[in-house]
Amino acid sequence: MANQDEQAGRAGSGIRAQQDFVAGLFLAVIALFAIWQASDMPLGTLRAMGPGMLPRAVAVMVGLGGVILMVSSFLEEGPALERFHWRGPLFILGGILLFALTIRTAGLIVAGPLSMIFGSLASDEFNWKEAAIFAVALTAICIVLFKFALGLPIPVIAFM
Amino acid sequence: MDMFSNLALGFSVALTLKNIALCFAGCFVGTLIGVLPGVGPIATIAMLLPITFGLDPTGALIMLAGIYYGAQYGGSTTAILVNLPGEATSVVTTLDGHQMAKQGRAGVALGIAAIGSFFAGCVATLLIAALGLPLTRLAQLFGPAEYFSLMVMGLVFAVVLARGSILKAICMILLGLMLAQVGTDLETGQERMTLGLISLSDGIDFAVLAMGIFGFAEIIRNLENPETRDVVRGTIGRLLPGKEDFRQSYMPILRGTFIGSILGILPGNGAVLGPFAAYTMEKRLAKDPSRFGRGAIEGVAGPESANNAGAQTAFIPLLTLGIPPNAVMALMVGAMTIHGIIPGPQVMTRNPELFWGMVASMWVGNLMLVIINLPLVGIWVKLLKVPYRLMFPAILIFCCIGIYSINNSPSDVMFTAFFGLFGYIVLKLGFEPAPMLLGFVLGKLMEEKLRQSLILSRGDFMTFLDRPVSAVLLVIAVAMLVLALLPSIRKSRDEVFTE
Amino acid sequence: MKRLILAAGLAIGLMQAPAQAQTYPNKPITMIVPFAAGGPTDIIARIVGEHMSRTLGQQIVIENVAGAGGTTGITRASQATADGYTIMMGHMGTHGAAPALYPNLKYDPTKDFAPVGLAAGTPILIVAKKTLPAKDLKEFNTWLKATGDKANQAHAGVGAVSHMTGIFYNSLVGVKPTFVPYTGTGPALNDLVSGQVDYMADQIVNVVEQIKGGAIKAYAIATPERSPALPDVPTAKEQGMPEFEVSAWNAIFAPKNTPADVVTKLAGALDKALDDEATRKRLLDLGGIIPDKAGRTPDALQKLVVAEVARWTPVLKAAMATAK
Repeated sequence: MANQDEQAGRAGSGIRAQQDFVAGLFLAVIALFAIWQASDMPLGTLRAMGPGMLPRAVAVMVGLGGVILMVSSFLEEGPALERFHWRGPLFILGGILLFALTIRTAGLIVAGPLSMIFGSLASDEFNWKEAAIFAVALTAICIVLFKFALGLPIPVIAFM
Repeated sequence: MDMFSNLALGFSVALTLKNIALCFAGCFVGTLIGVLPGVGPIATIAMLLPITFGLDPTGALIMLAGIYYGAQYGGSTTAILVNLPGEATSVVTTLDGHQMAKQGRAGVALGIAAIGSFFAGCVATLLIAALGLPLTRLAQLFGPAEYFSLMVMGLVFAVVLARGSILKAICMILLGLMLAQVGTDLETGQERMTLGLISLSDGIDFAVLAMGIFGFAEIIRNLENPETRDVVRGTIGRLLPGKEDFRQSYMPILRGTFIGSILGILPGNGAVLGPFAAYTMEKRLAKDPSRFGRGAIEGVAGPESANNAGAQTAFIPLLTLGIPPNAVMALMVGAMTIHGIIPGPQVMTRNPELFWGMVASMWVGNLMLVIINLPLVGIWVKLLKVPYRLMFPAILIFCCIGIYSINNSPSDVMFTAFFGLFGYIVLKLGFEPAPMLLGFVLGKLMEEKLRQSLILSRGDFMTFLDRPVSAVLLVIAVAMLVLALLPSIRKSRDEVFTE
Repeated sequence: MKRLILAAGLAIGLMQAPAQAQTYPNKPITMIVPFAAGGPTDIIARIVGEHMSRTLGQQIVIENVAGAGGTTGITRASQATADGYTIMMGHMGTHGAAPALYPNLKYDPTKDFAPVGLAAGTPILIVAKKTLPAKDLKEFNTWLKATGDKANQAHAGVGAVSHMTGIFYNSLVGVKPTFVPYTGTGPALNDLVSGQVDYMADQIVNVVEQIKGGAIKAYAIATPERSPALPDVPTAKEQGMPEFEVSAWNAIFAPKNTPADVVTKLAGALDKALDDEATRKRLLDLGGIIPDKAGRTPDALQKLVVAEVARWTPVLKAAMATAK
């Protein structure tokens, strides 16, 4: 119940919709980042808009939306922030990254089982034997399907 | 009468044994790649081009066209079953289609999608045959200014898509617009917000964003909530739509077909708006709009019909003017040119067997899709019984391969992982990803058209109001926005302040 | 059952594995096309590649690696192992204009490649909306000069063929119209047909049917002789602008240091493909220009690249400088 701790910690600040407050903050940060990124692009004129005009205009609007969300979070009751977990993002996204790193260097024959087994760790029902057999079998199916049936230029074995 | 003799000629071409077989092959391959997330019709058609060298042009095109609308249809299957939109046009199908699947009504959703698509396909075929030429002229009314106003209208649709807070939906649309601006500036060639990464210089690919914020973020979220994880835990219920389902769906199918057909004709991929427009309309017309987003069958029937109708009428500008309205159609131009037929205003008179054969084959193809897909519904639904701990690694690998195959680029796969994380955070913060995706799709077109209009009008904003079609579209957009905002303004004074 | 599939998959996978042998090629060759599938370069690569596969006895697999005006794909291909199993279809943009357009380009078109040979080009045309009063190129140029920046010229994005050749044409006439950028030839052509914009330069394959059907006007074709696909369109040379001669050429390159015998083998296969009647017909139907025997050699291609870089760099640098 980490939520309650956090809520207790923030009770004094007067935030009544914790989720909205963080959401607004999130948007504001993204907007600031985008404005900074777009800051060196010429604005141009209305007749010949420069590359910077719309990105900056949209970023300002996103930031404005974020600020309004933050303000309203003081005025209105709303849901508390949901708890973030690390297991899902770590293993799922890690699995994808492993695929990206190995597909060209080692080929699908390595990237497939590697990313699937690593990704499977995200589930609390993980079972080594099952995950390994399933990953290998599915990789074989993928090779037949994508490489041979659809003819996509996917490297199957790249390390030899 | 002309139309009937033309169609008769078309059917005499399309109904030869060889062409029926090719049409079937195309639809089958199309369905297959449509179901596989990420693998789009573009890669597949390109791969199959050399195989068609040995065929006559009509047969080759019938097969390739089959792949295209087969893929459109197959994409909806994935959207309904695992909440993964393979194409921009199936984003809205996830909203209610996947909810239906979670309630054990996946079969009904798939069934109504097939039937709606078939009906829409039949109407669109007739439309192409009867009104192909006059409709082209309608499309010619659309210059950059009209297009921009249409996109503004589309963004208002996105607001209506919102299930929760309207303010949050607007923020998501804006975020989508922002992501759409990443990449090389059209006019000056300057790189914008690419963080110096070469792989971002052509912008973010739709599939990369969609797989990330829908596919991967959804997997992560499902793993956290074991109770929603196994999509179908209870009984599956009936496999095909029943009487009550049809009663609720026939009007949405009619309306969706109409909207989709019109938007499909517009150049520059107007077809993507079709499903969104249809969904918005159904939600507006519904007696109880709160059912939408919770598995309303109208929310599947309308957009799916619009989707398929648009996919077919998109052939009109290609066949009558030789101007491809989207990337797949551009590839069809390539396919035609390889066979020595350069599409243009004269194809209809110079190659009537080809033209009408293709039109007729579209109807045949739609029939094929129903024949292929209705029996598959049972298999798809059974697939949902696979435990989630095996299902999600499978989705993961299919997505990875699909994303990789778009540009044969590992960095696209990495970006998908990034957007997966982004999508997870966004979901946790109570935002909806669908409006963001629509903002993203429309954003690219919108900036292009806005800048073109202002260049052409030499900076005069009145161009949007001076041109009648554009002005009407803007008025509709404003009216819809007001309608969408009114309830929340009335709700409480606090919220008036926040607006 | 699962085991069976697995075994089958492995067996197929292993058959793909390269067994070191003396004869090239003994496994499929990857040809990187730096543009999206379906465009003129991709189509030419597929037509030529299909015939070359038959000569070489190994399949040529087309891999589309699009991005940054084609430079993403060429950069990757130029860094591939120089064993002849990765080749590429370069293009007027990637091997002619890129050094001027992309200051951070990671390759030098004149030094970092082993040229194989020119495949085919597509001629450029000057096309305009059908309501424009000018009857021929001279009148059109007069109109352009009189209209100045009130004339609207469409192009398909910075670095696109329509953009580069359009700039080249304007620099020859000496005009600076207003540029209207589009995200591709399709939308640009659409607005040309409906008369929203005044004119553009484009490859023949994109506009040939619209010209024949009378939806747009063609003022000149930038080839020495008229194209058989459009015999009624006069050349720029006939109308007193011989310096406007440009075509979007496509050529096969291998990475630098590819063994000479491999390049020779590839060049031979290309030569044979361009002599094949069916292949020629497909290319000609596109309105394509097929190089003669002398123009197909690796040496001729090297000379062409050097000449093109020299031609485009000053024109584009001048135009880009004024744009900013």
